[in-house]
This record gives sequence, structure tokens and C-alpha cells, in this order.
Amino acid sequence: MSSILDTDTILAVDVGSVSTRASLFDVVDGHFRLIASGRAPSTVKAPLSDISEGVRMALDQVKAVTGRKLLDETDLLIMPVTSRGSGVDTFVATASAGPKVRTVLVGLMPGVSTDSALRLAESTYLDLVGVIDLLDTRRESEKIDLILSARPDLILVVGGTDGGAQDSVLQLIELVAVASELFSPNQRPRIVYAGNRELGAAIADRMGERLDIALAPNVRPSLRVEDLGHARLALGEAIAEARNKRVHGFDELEQWSGGNMMLTADAYGRVIRYLSRIYDPAKGVLGVDVGATNTMIAAAFEGDLRLSVETDLGLGEPLPTLLRHSSLSNIARWLPSEIAERTILDYIYNKSINPATVPTEEDDLLLELALAREILRLSLKRARKRWPKGRDLKSSWLMPSVEPIIASGSVLARAPRPGYAALALLDALQPTGITTFVLDPHGLSPSLGAASGSVPMLTVHVLESGSFVSLGTVVSPVGNARMGRKVLSLHLELEQSSEDVVGEVRMGQLAVVPIRQGEHAHLTLRPERGIDVGFGGPGKAGALRIAGGAVGLIIDARGRPLVLAKDPGRRRELNKKWLFDIGAVV
Amino acid sequence: MTHVIPITVIRRERVLPVPGAVLVRVNERIQAADIVAEAEIEPKHYYLDVDRGLGISIKDAGRYITCQKGDRVETGDVLAGPAGVPRRTVRAPAAGRIVGINSGRILLESFGQVLQIKAGFPGKVISSDGAQAVTIEAIGTLIQGVWGNGLQNYGVMRLVGDGPSSRLQTDQLDVNLRGAVLVAGICDHPAPFHQATELSVRGVILGGMPSELIPVARRLPYPVLLTEGFGEHPINAAAFNLFVSNVGREVAVDAGCAWPQPGQRPEAIIPQPSSRQVSHPDRVISLKPGVRVRVLKPPYQGEVAVVKEILKRVETYPSGIRAKSATIEIDGVGTKTVPLANIEILQ
Repeated sequence: MSSILDTDTILAVDVGSVSTRASLFDVVDGHFRLIASGRAPSTVKAPLSDISEGVRMALDQVKAVTGRKLLDETDLLIMPVTSRGSGVDTFVATASAGPKVRTVLVGLMPGVSTDSALRLAESTYLDLVGVIDLLDTRRESEKIDLILSARPDLILVVGGTDGGAQDSVLQLIELVAVASELFSPNQRPRIVYAGNRELGAAIADRMGERLDIALAPNVRPSLRVEDLGHARLALGEAIAEARNKRVHGFDELEQWSGGNMMLTADAYGRVIRYLSRIYDPAKGVLGVDVGATNTMIAAAFEGDLRLSVETDLGLGEPLPTLLRHSSLSNIARWLPSEIAERTILDYIYNKSINPATVPTEEDDLLLELALAREILRLSLKRARKRWPKGRDLKSSWLMPSVEPIIASGSVLARAPRPGYAALALLDALQPTGITTFVLDPHGLSPSLGAASGSVPMLTVHVLESGSFVSLGTVVSPVGNARMGRKVLSLHLELEQSSEDVVGEVRMGQLAVVPIRQGEHAHLTLRPERGIDVGFGGPGKAGALRIAGGAVGLIIDARGRPLVLAKDPGRRRELNKKWLFDIGAVV
Repeated sequence: MTHVIPITVIRRERVLPVPGAVLVRVNERIQAADIVAEAEIEPKHYYLDVDRGLGISIKDAGRYITCQKGDRVETGDVLAGPAGVPRRTVRAPAAGRIVGINSGRILLESFGQVLQIKAGFPGKVISSDGAQAVTIEAIGTLIQGVWGNGLQNYGVMRLVGDGPSSRLQTDQLDVNLRGAVLVAGICDHPAPFHQATELSVRGVILGGMPSELIPVARRLPYPVLLTEGFGEHPINAAAFNLFVSNVGREVAVDAGCAWPQPGQRPEAIIPQPSSRQVSHPDRVISLKPGVRVRVLKPPYQGEVAVVKEILKRVETYPSGIRAKSATIEIDGVGTKTVPLANIEILQ
């Protein structure tokens, strides 16, 4: 065992709806490194409905790479490491797989407790199937019918500040109890109460024996304070319970992890929050993950995490839902070649049937990246409504300043050249000012989050290693300028080379200066009047030290917001040009 | 994994969304159209305030309630009262049963719609919980698909066209096909679907159809089952051969039901007489040389093949994507390399 670290070998498993990943970390030269990762199809759905098979296949791949025996003869995890070097010291697990948890939200005041509960529900794997609040004009009997027809797995009840309203909350909880008791015992929903704390004991006394009720601290202890963290834990337990009822194998991972298995979204949020405490406090940190069944957007500002889990937006089963919020023409606008809308529609439905498939033809790859852009764009739009006020720029349609932006998801990670992922992120997120794009190609972020409690150094060490790929530094000038007019001049001094790069960037241009991974450079930017590059206001020049990346320095002067050409032919030509400019196609 | 098996044991659970009544007995032989379970769904509730109705205080309300939990009542039956000089009463606003009495309030549940679940295919009842779930078993041909329009039916199977890629066209649909389950390669227009409705067909099985026809298919009165997906995809050879060899037999088309079980796939079941021992479908088959697979993406989408080798190296494809791959032998096409993610095991 290492002298500076309490644990040496860490095994992390993340069970997704399509893939199960296993990652093995070990100490090399006093630092944690990713040693091997395995990926196998998840076996969460019928006919198996048991995640164990997928987990074992992923572990087999890790074993095949490292030669390290992880399971004993009875298929149990060997822990701690034996004298022969088998097993691991620490095991962590995260999961996003499993059926969605149907949830009815019962709250007191729209705009207050109900809004807090909505934010809570939207930050985890809940399928919101009904909302009831005090201003709801439906009769009580209709509300009972609503709960019954929704057939929820979970009813989340909130309302009243601590020491505030009592009678109204009790009326609501009574209504919930009456409705819940009408379900057969094996279908009765779990109730999580996260309202006025003073009523907790009374509610438990009155209903604890009749119903499955869990008490959590108030999501809105006062009008000005919102506390979602504690209630999120209670919801996590309810989600895990609902999931364990329908899918086998989670209990084993729970046992291996010492009862600390986490929801993938919670673990992901934990990493982003942690990073926001390390990086520039003036900016936030943004994490985006395009999954098969959901999309996560995690933004953290000095430790204040805003996590969104869009359970109806993903590149797998829910893909047809994208068309409820977007359109085929919105998807096609990101394509560099003409693909018939009928073909796009068929692709969407076929991908929802077979989400694990990979695009072998170029058109399919570009289409999946176009779908990812729309999913990210919509997810970000929804997520930003929950970001703290004062973090947005004056123009509400512009992205506030965040750095870095960490991206994950198979569609980005498996892109054949880094330029594909970089351009998709630029188009979908449209960052402003100066930021860095970082790709998490192995989907390690949730595992790092889950391990951060027991092995805090793991996140720092792995982030500093090559397991996360920096795509490069991105400069996105903001301001009005005519197309083709100069927006900035730049001077780049490479530390490992005597040759400087001096140039200017014009409006509409997407410029890339290659700077290799591991190299550093001093960048001086002199924006034109009225153009803001993030140095404190329009026209303000500045200099900074930047690191290289898989793409390099990217200057996106295409405008914020990005306005695409109206003419389809011209638009496709520009999309093609931008793919070339950023090095995605050669 | 997709099952396309000439003869196997097929065991399916039919489950009501809420407890109700199972109408068949264990070991009973049943037909496809038999109703195996039924329940009342989405009943309406009435939450009646006795104190307000009678004009009395809430603490006195209990004394005036004349019904008990579990009582069945008719519209107009007195549930509480009479009280006071005006002899006020609280009456049942609808026929139903009393499901709760609490704090001076009566909860009346009116009778809802009856949901009936059919067997879907002929077989034997092998288990039941008496209230909500029935398991039916049969021996037959099983062909699983990828999409269904949510309906079930049963009828004699007829082939339309002359091959797995034949188009379903209106001029092929005549009175001889009345009441049949039609098998064709592709349907790319709503007209054949509407003509089939006029012929009262009991189902249509296709390889593929354009996804823009989904809204049309969802409005049809008969089940539509796709074996491959959306677009112009013929029925895969393994499934088509089984359909051809069973033309004229009865087929149960389960294109999904209103209350599907998790992981339940749309499928066609052709009951077969069998006296010999028949095995159950495998739940897990490892991908290895010799295993039969189906390709899920172009350029060989829908082709049935046999795995020759799981490649140790990662292959690069025209899109630039690098993926773990296998070489497969496609009948009539030859040996091809495809990503492991783009094939599925076909049993």
C-alpha cells in the first residue's frame, strides 16, 4: 500500500441503460491512474432484467487487459487486495439504468415549495406524471383520481416553510394518504415528505403504519432558502428501491460498495461541484453528458450545483421525443450534406429501437452528431432556467462564462476526430469569452464523484492524467460586427517553439491554431471596439497562458448567438467548411 | 437477442394493471380470444363531506353515517342522515362501493370501465395469482419483431407478394384475404393499410415501413408488426422462411398491448402440435464463432449471418469510427466485417 494514500486499487462500475463500464485505477509513481476500462452491453432489460451479467462482462474485459483477478470462484469481488495481487482495495458503483420512477408531486405554493420540488425532480431520474398544488382548482375527488390514474411509484410532498403553514399541508397529506390507500398493498407508492419540518412527527404518527412514508428535511425551510440536497438523498433511496424491485443485481453492487452505491447523476454533480471550487471562482464549471436515455447538464458556481437530468432527451430510446420539442428541419440545419427528412425520421426511430448501434457510414455519423447538438441545445436551454440569477450575461440568450466545459457521452467520445466533438459542442452550447473544452472519453466522471468521498485524491490525480482529453482553449468573441470585419488580433507565443503566431480573426470565421497536448503558450488577444472576448468588457485586451489540446486554440467568431444561413445550400456549405476548419474532415 | 425459432416453448405472462379477477384456472386449455383476466380501471371517486351535507358539526358526523366501508350502493342510496328538522341526507351520487370513511367524510368509488385481457395465443394456463397475473404456455414458432402498433389479434396467415421485400399494394388485396393475417415485406403508403381495414384483416406483419406511417398504423383496428424497423427493410431471411413454411396456419400477432410487461417485445406466435420434447428459448447466448446473428445497421441491415471470428483488433469504418468488430458470413453476400454493436444474436 502506498505511504501517502490510504488505498491503492480502486474499481468503479457505472451501470447505464445501454452500457456497463468498469474502470480500474491504481497508484503509479504516487498518483492514481486509470489502468484499464471495460465496457459491455447492459443487461438491465428483459429477458435478463439482471445487471450482473453486464457487470461481469465489463469486469472480464478489465481482467483481460490487466491480468488481475477481480472475482473469486463464487463470483464475489475480492476485497481488499490479496498478497497475490488479486482484487481491489475500494469499490464504488453508480447507476442510471432501470425503469423510470413515476412520480406525482404534491406541493403547497406554485412559485415557492412546488417550484423547489420541481427543480429537485428535474435533477434526478424521475418521470413526473402529475402535479397537484394548493391553487389547483380541481375537486379533491378529481385529485384522488389523478393520483390513481398516474399509478405513481413515488409521491413527493412538499409545502410550508419550517414553522409556517400547517393545516394546508396536513390537508394535502391527508389527500395523498386517502389516494395511496386505494392502491393494492404491493402497488402502493412510497411517499417522501419534504415539507414543513414541524409536521414530520405528526405525519409519521398518523400515517407511518398505514403507508410507506419517508421524511426528509424541508426543501424550502424559509421563503429565501432552498435546500434540495437532503431531499435528494431521500429521493435517491426511493429511486433505488423502485429500481431494485424490478431489476436484479443492484443489491450485489450495493453490498460490494459498502452500501454507498450512488445514482450516476448525483455522482456526476459531485465532481462538477468539486471542480467549481478548484477553478476560477468568477466563472462556473459546466458538465454535459449526452446519454442514451437521458442528458445531464451540471453547472456549478463556487460550489453551488445546478444539476438537470433531462429524462426525455437522449440518443437512444427517448429519441423520438426530441421531435416534440424540435423539428426535422432544426436537426437538418446542422448537416453538411442533404439528407431527406424522411431518412432522418427513420434514423431516429431505428436508433430508438437499437440505441447501442454505431454509425459506420459518414452520413450516419454526421446525423448522430446533429441529433446530439439539438439534444444538448434543448437540455441547456431548460437547465439554464434553474441557474442562479446574476450568472447570466445581460443578453439572456448568451451563455454565461464557464470554464472548463467537460463533455461526455458516446456520441462525442467515439467521434473519429476531436474536431467533430469540438464543433458539436461549439454549435450546441455556444460558449462566450474564453473557456476550455475537456472530453471525458471513458465516462469516468460519475465514478470519480462516487469515489471522492472515500478517496478524495482520485479526482485530482485522474484529471491531471491523460484520461480526460483537452480539446483545446476556445475563444468566442461577443459583439456586433459586419460579416468579414476584423473582430480581434492575436499573438501566440509557444513555449516550446521560437515561432510566434500573429494574426487576426474576422467576423464569421472559425479559426484554429494547433497546439499539441502538453504544450503551453502565451496568448494575447486584442479585440476591436465593441467586441468582448472575456477580459472584462468590450474592446478590452488581455493575455493568458493556455494549454494545448487535441484540436488546439479555437477562435469561434461566427457570432453569438450563432445565426445559421437561411439558404439550405449555403448553410450546408458553411457546415462543411467549419468541419474542415476545425480539423474534423481533411 | 431476438428469437426466431421454428419450435419452442413460449411462456407469456398476462398482467392486469390493477388487481381484478382471473377468469381461467391453472391447467385449463384456452384459445387466443379467451379473456383470461379483467379488472375495473380508472373508477371515479366522490369524496363526500357528511358534516357539510347534513349541516352539522364534524364531530357529530360519524353518528349519522349509515353505510360501512365495503358496502355496494346504488345511485340515490342514503349514505348519511337524516339529520335535523329538515331531515337532510347525503345520498350516493353514483352507483359504486364505499372505499373509505374518515373524519366525517365518505369516499365512494363508482364502477369504472372494465379492462379485459385476452390470452393472445392458444395454450395452457400454467400459473395464476388469482387476482392480477396469468401465465400461459404453448408450443409453437416464435418470431420476435422490433415495433408494434399496440394491438393483438389472431388469424390465418397469408403471404402477400412473392418475397421478403415485396411491397404491400392495394391491387394485391382482395376478398380472398378477408379476415387473414397478412405477411409482406414493406408497406410504404397508407392506402394498403386502409384497404386491409375494409377487408377486416386481423393483422399485418412487415419487415419495415417508413416511420411517417406510424400515426396511420396506430389508428388501424388490427395489429401491425415490424420485424426489422423503419424504412424499406425486407423481412429477415430466417423469419421469412418460417412465415413461408407456415402459410395457412393460424398466427397470433402480439404487436404490444395497452399494459405491456417490461421488456415485452412485439411478436408473432404460430402454435404447433408437438409430441416431442421442446426446449425453452435461451435467455443468454454468448457471442462467439458459429452463432447466428442479424445485422442492425446498413449496409447489411436485416441480413442474417453466422459469426466467423471475433476480431482482437479494432476496425475502422468509412465514417472514421473505430469499433470492436466481428467477421460474419452473410449467405449470398460473403464474409463481411461489422461492429459488434451493430449485430444482435438471433436464436
